[in-house]
Amino acid sequence: MKTRIKELRARYNLTQEDLARKVGVRRETILFIEKGNYNPSLQLARDIAKALKTTIDDLFIFED
Amino acid sequence: MNDKTGIILGLLATILVLLTLAVYIMNAGTIDFTELGSFAIVIILVLAATYIIWDRAKNIRKGLPAKDERLINISYKAGYYGFIAAIWSAVGAPLLADIFLGREELEGHYITAIVVLVSAIIFMISYFYLAWKGK
Repeated sequence: MKTRIKELRARYNLTQEDLARKVGVRRETILFIEKGNYNPSLQLARDIAKALKTTIDDLFIFED
Repeated sequence: MNDKTGIILGLLATILVLLTLAVYIMNAGTIDFTELGSFAIVIILVLAATYIIWDRAKNIRKGLPAKDERLINISYKAGYYGFIAAIWSAVGAPLLADIFLGREELEGHYITAIVVLVSAIIFMISYFYLAWKGK
């Protein structure tokens, strides 16, 4: 699974730590989600999408 | 339990473990080689626990949570591996003692110590590995 978190973070000028603080997780969790090493819960995915003003569908790219 | 209470309790537990170890060493008289190994393992576990506590305190100072869903999942997984290790070490310790040390019977307090140490070590190794891998 790929994500557009890094790209959208850059667009809104947010660091990993800023985003982590917004959604209430640790910075490493954002890092692992960005790298595709960790699949977040639906709740966390929704919170990240909301913080980056987008939708879950737009944020995560699923590879078949 | 909130994050700060957890950190204070963790620190208290760490200090109590070190105090227990110090009292034991002061009253033990002569300490043999196998006991030294156990002490080393306890010290490693204490250092690992101290690192986890320090890491959580650092995150709280930055205004981030001490643990989140990823760390909670990691704790559950590591706990499961530690539990499996505890069961198998209880079964395996007497067998291995018989095969390698020629001891047909292993006393209960040795088995208890082995179960506690092995499960704690497996928990710590799994925890750090999973935290490093991210899942």
